[in-house]
Amino acid sequence: MTDALPDRSDAIAALEIDRVGKIFDVAGRRVEALRDISFSVRTGEFVAIVGASGCGKSTLLRLILGLDTDYQGEVRLDGRRVKKPDLNRGIVFQDHRLLPWLTAEGNVAAALRRSGLPKSERRQLVAEHLKLVGLENFADAWPAQLSGGMSQRVAIARALVNRPRFLLLDEPLGALDALTRLRLQDELARIVRHEGTTALLVTHDVDEAVFLADRIIVLQPDPGRIARIVEVNLDAHRDRSAPAFLRLRDEILGTLGVRPSPRAIATAA
Amino acid sequence: MSRLATALLVPALLFGLWSVSAAQGWLPEQLLPAPTAVWDALAETAVGGDLSADILISLQRVGEGFALGALAGLGFGGAIGLSRTLRALFDPLFLLLAQVPPLAWIPLVILAVGIDEAMKVTVIAWASFVPVVLGVAQGIRDVPEPLRELGRALTFDPWDLVSRIVFPAAVPAIFTGLREGLANAWQTLVAAELFASSEGLGYLISLGRQLFQLDLVLAMVLVLGIVGLSVNGALALVERRLLRWQAPAS
Amino acid sequence: MSEIACPPARPAWRLALPPTLRPVLSGLVVPVLLIGVWQVIAAAHVVAPYILPSPAAVLARFRVELAGGTFRGDVVASLSRALGGFATGAPTGLAFGLLLGLSRLAGRLFGPIFLAYRQIALFAWVPLLAMWFGGGEAGKLAFIALAAFAPAAVNAWRAAAAIPAPYRELSKALTLGRLDHLRLVALPSALPGMLTGLRSSLIHAWLATVGAELFLDIAPGLGGRLNEGRDKFEVDLMIVALTVLAILGLGFSQLAATAERQSLRWRRR
Ligand SMILES: Nc1ncnc2c1ncn2[C@@H]1O[C@H](COP(=O)(O)OP(=O)(O)OP(=O)(O)O)[C@@H](O)[C@H]1O
Ligand SMILES: [Mg+2]
Repeated sequence: MTDALPDRSDAIAALEIDRVGKIFDVAGRRVEALRDISFSVRTGEFVAIVGASGCGKSTLLRLILGLDTDYQGEVRLDGRRVKKPDLNRGIVFQDHRLLPWLTAEGNVAAALRRSGLPKSERRQLVAEHLKLVGLENFADAWPAQLSGGMSQRVAIARALVNRPRFLLLDEPLGALDALTRLRLQDELARIVRHEGTTALLVTHDVDEAVFLADRIIVLQPDPGRIARIVEVNLDAHRDRSAPAFLRLRDEILGTLGVRPSPRAIATAA
Repeated sequence: MSRLATALLVPALLFGLWSVSAAQGWLPEQLLPAPTAVWDALAETAVGGDLSADILISLQRVGEGFALGALAGLGFGGAIGLSRTLRALFDPLFLLLAQVPPLAWIPLVILAVGIDEAMKVTVIAWASFVPVVLGVAQGIRDVPEPLRELGRALTFDPWDLVSRIVFPAAVPAIFTGLREGLANAWQTLVAAELFASSEGLGYLISLGRQLFQLDLVLAMVLVLGIVGLSVNGALALVERRLLRWQAPAS
Repeated sequence: MSEIACPPARPAWRLALPPTLRPVLSGLVVPVLLIGVWQVIAAAHVVAPYILPSPAAVLARFRVELAGGTFRGDVVASLSRALGGFATGAPTGLAFGLLLGLSRLAGRLFGPIFLAYRQIALFAWVPLLAMWFGGGEAGKLAFIALAAFAPAAVNAWRAAAAIPAPYRELSKALTLGRLDHLRLVALPSALPGMLTGLRSSLIHAWLATVGAELFLDIAPGLGGRLNEGRDKFEVDLMIVALTVLAILGLGFSQLAATAERQSLRWRRR
């Protein structure tokens, strides 16, 4: 199990990933996508998952959501095995996956179908969340009229609109320009803290992971397994250029097999 | 239950219902002959009559008409696909003529060339010409601009551009047109033979109707289905060979 | 559809025309030339006028038919037959196709026999239907409905069976119920295919109308007039009827294309 939590009790772990493995059958060949993945996430925690392309990050999120129940080991929520998706867990898919025949507003509202809320309240929630991602003026736009980054923001609004306990984010800021990305990272940090959401973020961007997460799970490929788990002991309000920040980033990049650039070392020192 | 068993369940039930209905005499024989009667009619035409000769003449008509129409369609479609000027000149007239159902031409064509083979081949050729032209022209026009740019980057001359890039990229659409053309040819054949003929599968069907022999009609409908299936299968085989580079549609 | 991006340089004289008129005018060149040749041949009496009447004679016949004869009644009869058959066959086909595509069991039970049925040429059913329903109005409508059924069914089936897996997954992630899935995901996703089916179904209904009028009992209708033209050797009447068939067919495709554009607004950028 996780050896990275010496000083906190496992009793408050809300989400437990217990020796999870997943094997795909690709054209008659066995592809081991995940092997022996174990960690747990406490309520209110922000966990990031980083790793090379193809090491099983998206697969892991699908198992946690409950889209796929054919795997080894167990994913438990509050001690019970996850059987199917529910509105406690919101997801932002890697491809934004907006329904092209619904407007931005309609796409966000689709997530509220099973909320049981009255219509007026739903409409208000949708408007609030579109505003949250800065798209209040695009409520009536079709996805084909939005840029890639705008579409991803709609997808984030759709995942948030149910105020889920768990937010599963699969590279949600991948298609954004650097500036919007930084702004939305701040936004994401604020939302998660404000709503008390527990977040699980998959990302390629180690800076992003260090900036947002309390803990970073580093995966290595073939088969996808945990290389190490890193605690991020930085302040709540992080400075992206502080030496401690850069040191941690370089350490993780090292685990991923990337040697930090000399300039980065110079600034860190 | 296996897939095959599931697939055969409904046909088997229908056949059972048909047999029982015939045995119990639920419907008069003129409306629904017994399965055995249909089988006898089939055996009779196949052995005693000349079913194979009728199938051959039908296939020959489709073959000639389709070959003519498809060749002309490839030429004309290629021309209006590649040249904007030709397209601007001929497209509107062609589109207007294409709106007329092919068999509506039959009466006029009969006056022009008589009621014999020429009429059938002409109408079948026109029926296959239309979808082939549409498929070829559309296919050529829809070749992605990046591919054409690639050709320009490699400084291809017009011939190379057409033979190496435009034509191969348009092949799937061309085949859609050919497949539709063949289907149209087949439909029109039956219509033409029904309308005016003294041999062929369509003729046998209309003969059955005139003689009030529904068993013969049903037997020929069966034969038409089987021949149609084989013709389509043959074209699909050719298509698969030519389109090996395409990922199989999942 | 889409023209090549950069138009080549045009001769200067063409710039004098307003751009909307240019395609209309160039499209008229060939027909006008053909009519000219036709007029010359007819005037030179190379061909007997009963085989090739002059354009003026055809035009005169057109006027006569429109003013006095039964022509308007024929057009109305053909149109109402086509629409009646379409209105019966197409919705049934859509419903059947959707059932086959959305329910795996229905697809396996009815799919193969439906495919086998499709191999039989449409007109082979004319004698059967004539014996079952008679050669009058009922037989004609049954044949037209049958012709409209298959294209709608095939396209709806294909479209409903091909709902992209990511969308189906999204439905699960949002925990949509069966009805919501149908309304928000399945039907809109299948809509383009269903519309293609409806268009094809309309064309087939029109084709079958002419076929039914040619092959079954004589009744008012454009197909009947074509037969009449052949029997009486009146080529001018046949040309008039064919022209009207072409114009009505054009109207049908325009109608279908407009309906398609209207219901697929979300595709436009
Ligand atoms: N449905 C599937 N069928 C077969 N193999 C699959 C399937 N989904 C994923 N895989 C395989 O599992 C492995 C992990 O895929 P996954 O999408 O989880 O990677 P990832 O870490 O999210 O990559 P990326 O960063 O590029 O998104 C890959 O080898 C992939 O080929
Ligand atoms: Mg992924």
